[in-house]
Amino acid sequence: MGIEETALEVISKYEDGVFQNQLWKELDIDSRKCSRIISKLLKDGLITREPAVDNGARTFLIRTTRKEEPSFELLLSGDMFSPCAGCRDACQPESCEKLTAWVLNLSQENSNNQEVSETE
Amino acid sequence: MIDMNDPVIRGYLIRLVGEDGLAMIEEMPEGEVTDEQIAQATGILLNIVRRTLFILNENKLAICRRERDASSGWLTYLWTLDISDIRKQLIKERKKLIKNLKIRKEFEESNVFYICPEGCIRMDFKQASDAVFMCMECGEDMIHEDNTPFIQLIDERIKNLESR
Repeated sequence: MGIEETALEVISKYEDGVFQNQLWKELDIDSRKCSRIISKLLKDGLITREPAVDNGARTFLIRTTRKEEPSFELLLSGDMFSPCAGCRDACQPESCEKLTAWVLNLSQENSNNQEVSETE
Repeated sequence: MIDMNDPVIRGYLIRLVGEDGLAMIEEMPEGEVTDEQIAQATGILLNIVRRTLFILNENKLAICRRERDASSGWLTYLWTLDISDIRKQLIKERKKLIKNLKIRKEFEESNVFYICPEGCIRMDFKQASDAVFMCMECGEDMIHEDNTPFIQLIDERIKNLESR
C-alpha cells in the first residue's frame, strides 16, 4: 500500500477529522512529506482541509470526503434475511409473525456472538 | 462487481427468489436470452425460471426486452440479468425494515400482552379480556408477558441500522 493510501486510511479513521500536525506523527513521516501527500489527496478530491488551531498551534483539520459504505449485514438476523424484502403479504408489522421470528432470532445471534468472543 | 458469495447478497436473493431462483441466477447464460433457453441451460423448470425472472424484473435486477417477429407477429421476451444495482435495492430494503421495526416497537410499547403458558397464543389486553384470560386453544390461564427483552432487541437493531 502506498503512503497516500495509508494516509487516507488513517484520515478516514477519524470521523471528525484529524489535525495535520497529528497526522504526520501518526504516519511516522516528516511534516514536509505529509504536506505533499495532503496536497495530492486534496487535488484528487479525496479530502477536505480547513485552518484550525490545535493546542494553540495553527494547523489544518483534515477530513475524508469518502462516505462510509452502508453496511447491509444488519439486514441479516443470523442467517435470516429481512422478512420485509419481497414480502407480498398485507403489511402488518404489529402482528407479523415473520417479523417476530426475525427479531427473536436476533437474541440467538447475540448469544452466538457472545460464545464466539468467549472462545476467542 | 457483485460478490455472489456475500451472505447478505445471497440472503437477499434467496428471500426474493428462493434457492431454485438463486441456482438459476448463478447458472444463467450471459447476454440476452429467452426463458426457454435459460430453462434448458440451467435444467430448472420453466415455470420457476419465469417466476424468478418476473420477481427479478420487479426488483430491477433483470431487464426484459420484447421483440416482435416480423413474419409471424409473435412476441419474444428477451431477458438480461443485471444485478449491478443491488445495493440500491438493499438501501430500500433497509429503509423498509427500519420503518416496520419502528411500527412494531411502538405497538409493543403501547400494549400489554398475555400469552398461553403452553405457547399456543399471544394476545393484547383487549383480546385477552374478551377471552376471560383463558387460552382458546387449550384452556390454560393466560399469563402476563414481559416484552421488554423483545423491545430491547428491536430498539438495539434500529439504532445500529440507523447509525450505519
